[in-house]
Amino acid sequence: MSSDAVKKRKPKVIRNEEGTPETKRGRAEGEQSVEMEERRRQCSVHFITLKKLNRLAHMRLKKGRDQTHEAKQRVDVLHLQLQNLLYEVMHLQKEINKCLEFKSQHEEIELVSEEEFFQEAPAEISRPHVTRDDHHQLTLARLDWELEQRKRLAEQYKMSLARKEKIHKAIEQKREYLSSLQPGLQNIMQASLPVQECLSMPFEQMQKQAEVARHLPPPLYVLLVQAAAYGQACDKTLSASISGDVDEAKALSRPPEDSQDDESDSDAEEEQQNTKRRRATVGVQLDDKRKEMLRRHPLSLCVDLKCKDGSVLHLFFYYLMNLNILTVKTKVSTTTDLSGAVSAGELLNSESLLNCLYASDHGQETPNPTNRYQFDKVGITTFADYVSDLGHPYVWVQKLGGLQFSSDGAQVCVLMGSALSASHMERTMKLLQGRLQARLALHKQFSSLEHSIIPVSGECQHLFPAKVVSGLTLVPVEQELGFVQHVLKAGLLRETDLFFMAVVERGTARLLAAVVVNPRYPEVMPLFSLSLHWKGERSGRTEDNLRAMESEVNVFRAELQGPRPGFQLLTNQIQRLCVCLDVYLEMESQVCDGSEGPKEFPREKMCLRTARGPSRLKPFKYNHPQGFFSHR
Amino acid sequence: MGPVELLHMSVFSQSFSPCGRFLAAGNNYGEIAVFSLSAALSPDASQASQKPILNFTAHDGPVFSLLSTDTHLLSAGNGEISAWSWAELIKKSTKAAWTRKPSYETSLEIPEINAMIINPKDNSLIVGGGDNNIHIMDMETGIFKSVLKGHTDYIHCLCFKEREEEILSGGEDGAVRIWGHTEIPLSHFQTCSGMASQECARPQFGKWISCLATDSDWMLCGGGPSLSLWHLRSMSPTSVFPLPGCQREAVFYQDLIMSVGEGPHVSHCLHGGTVKAQIPCTPSSLNTLALNLKNTEHRVMTVGGSSHQIDVFTNFSYKAFSLSF
Repeated sequence: MSSDAVKKRKPKVIRNEEGTPETKRGRAEGEQSVEMEERRRQCSVHFITLKKLNRLAHMRLKKGRDQTHEAKQRVDVLHLQLQNLLYEVMHLQKEINKCLEFKSQHEEIELVSEEEFFQEAPAEISRPHVTRDDHHQLTLARLDWELEQRKRLAEQYKMSLARKEKIHKAIEQKREYLSSLQPGLQNIMQASLPVQECLSMPFEQMQKQAEVARHLPPPLYVLLVQAAAYGQACDKTLSASISGDVDEAKALSRPPEDSQDDESDSDAEEEQQNTKRRRATVGVQLDDKRKEMLRRHPLSLCVDLKCKDGSVLHLFFYYLMNLNILTVKTKVSTTTDLSGAVSAGELLNSESLLNCLYASDHGQETPNPTNRYQFDKVGITTFADYVSDLGHPYVWVQKLGGLQFSSDGAQVCVLMGSALSASHMERTMKLLQGRLQARLALHKQFSSLEHSIIPVSGECQHLFPAKVVSGLTLVPVEQELGFVQHVLKAGLLRETDLFFMAVVERGTARLLAAVVVNPRYPEVMPLFSLSLHWKGERSGRTEDNLRAMESEVNVFRAELQGPRPGFQLLTNQIQRLCVCLDVYLEMESQVCDGSEGPKEFPREKMCLRTARGPSRLKPFKYNHPQGFFSHR
Repeated sequence: MGPVELLHMSVFSQSFSPCGRFLAAGNNYGEIAVFSLSAALSPDASQASQKPILNFTAHDGPVFSLLSTDTHLLSAGNGEISAWSWAELIKKSTKAAWTRKPSYETSLEIPEINAMIINPKDNSLIVGGGDNNIHIMDMETGIFKSVLKGHTDYIHCLCFKEREEEILSGGEDGAVRIWGHTEIPLSHFQTCSGMASQECARPQFGKWISCLATDSDWMLCGGGPSLSLWHLRSMSPTSVFPLPGCQREAVFYQDLIMSVGEGPHVSHCLHGGTVKAQIPCTPSSLNTLALNLKNTEHRVMTVGGSSHQIDVFTNFSYKAFSLSF
């Protein structure tokens, strides 16, 4: 700045000096040069002064800076020292802490308590006089004692191991010996089989069956036991056997924990898979649920009932696990060939063979009331749709398996399980045999009826006169018939009944008889309804004589039944029907005025009176040894 | 009685008790059932009150005829007549008071008794049946006084003319005979003999007479021939009723004629010969019709036939309900 000032002054000076060159040149040229010299000298002095000042300033600045720097250095050194010390302090503190926290391994060893130690340890080790005072020594002593004990125990352990090995070897030897015996025993068993058969004591078979029977579900087991017992006691021809897949049955009875783990794993897998592929439709899911609900146990029971004529009724019993009911399927095998009777196809149909074994036991609905709720969940409306696949859940089948459901009538049955089964077994078996025989007899009768031959057995001949002129044809019928309405109204016709039409003809007269056969034939009589086509159409509703014929055939069971077990009932009824038609036609011509010419049906039957009573009934009752007809 | 037996039951006869509160009915199985009309007609009647209060087997064969006297119910079975006291029946005791058999000639088949009537003047019972004869029994002593012979076939129905004390009988042979006090019929006439062109003859059915009824000078008769109203003094039919079936019972009631027979209806006819109405009923053909005129409270008409049910008509124009065996 001072240089600037100087430099500023200088031009001024110069200017000044130059400013007045013209005016003062002349006069002051001499003065001016001295002044200028003066001024120049002053300038230079000033310059030098300036420089000096500048230099001084600089030096002052530098000195100040150096001092500052030095002080800073000193402070830094001290600072560093401080930090070093602090670090060391921290380090030392850490070390101290580490040392303080140090857990000696010896502390992890579980030592016996001090009292025990003093009690047990021998004096050389425990050294109580020293250790009681000094904790360190005490610990050392305790550690010594521990070491010694452990060594001792390790010795013992080694010895025990060695002993165990020896014993193990001995066991192995014995096992080998036993397994070498096994094939020998098998041989003996095989050799004894023929002996068993010879003596008819099939122990081995029974053992095998007992083996498999362990895996049966409880109702089938009860049924097997009771059936076998009944067979042994009362009916030697009855045989019961188990069929089905034993491994699956074993799989079903495996303990649930394993399967639960599996399930959770597999669920997790399934979920992952489900997100990748499309979910199955609701319908398929429901279907699967239904199938699951209706699942059968893999084992099933087969009971064979033999009848005297050699035909066999095979009953297959199945257990539906989720529904807790038993079902049965049937099969009939006969010694003779049964084809032939067209109309009798229904009789031995396995679907309807065992219908109504006990009254009103149709086997179309499940007898277990809880199944209703289960069905609602999976959308099954009636069990009847599945009956043809799964078998019929008759009430007697449940009773034979010892299953009792609260919907079974009003009786309060105290029996359960085997007692229930035993109480029903005999009666049911007898009914089953009776049913099979009745159906077979009926089948035979039908095949001969279709050929217009009425097979009347010898014992029943006395019921009928020697000569019967009317001829028969048998026709199965499905359609609605007007003259059967009264039977429907009286409630005597049910879905399970078999329905036939017999046509009896003589001359121009044609008698149609609609026959309703209850599945429980011959316990329940077949019911006939008549309609006569001869000079007009008459039926049992319009004419009293036809009604009397119906009652003659339908009502008198004791006469028509024939010898026990009454399989001749239907044929006797039909024969009687033919006889009654003969009487009707022959007597009819008598009553009317013979204004039409010769009588169509000459009178051949003997009777005392042709009409009796207010309704003028004809004599339909046949009296045996005398051979004439009278009124009831 | 199983359902099949019920299906084949026929009611043949009915009779009201002297007090008019009970109805007795006989069926083809030989049973008699006593129904309580007062219970069935009361306002709180139920299904149970339409069942008999008493049902017992009276005879071997069907009960074709029932008749009530002042104290007893007479029932006719196979050739025998039994009497039951009404008082005992109401108390449900089934012991017969007495049983009598008319003397029959043939022993091979026991003839039935189809009709019974009472002659109140000399207290005698007149029965007609299968042996073609009419037997007259004295009610007090029980002895069969006389036998009226004349019919050539069995007797269906009997009827009594109170004023002249004459018995009318109709039979299977198609003849109606009028009997007086002697054993020789006063007169008889055949409805169909020599009168083939008569309106009432129906040869397609036959010639038997199964119903008879009289009302002083008039007589109703029908059966094989059509139901017709005859004037007795002139012995000629005045009107013929065009009913399709064969009639089994007909009665005069006030100015109507009511008849039942083949066909499930009760026919109401007028004296002039017109059929006024045909009231439908449950049985498919009817055998008996009874009117309860003794009791004004229970004035009903009951009909029975080829069914186990007896229809009761409180108003004679329609069926009220049915009693059942």
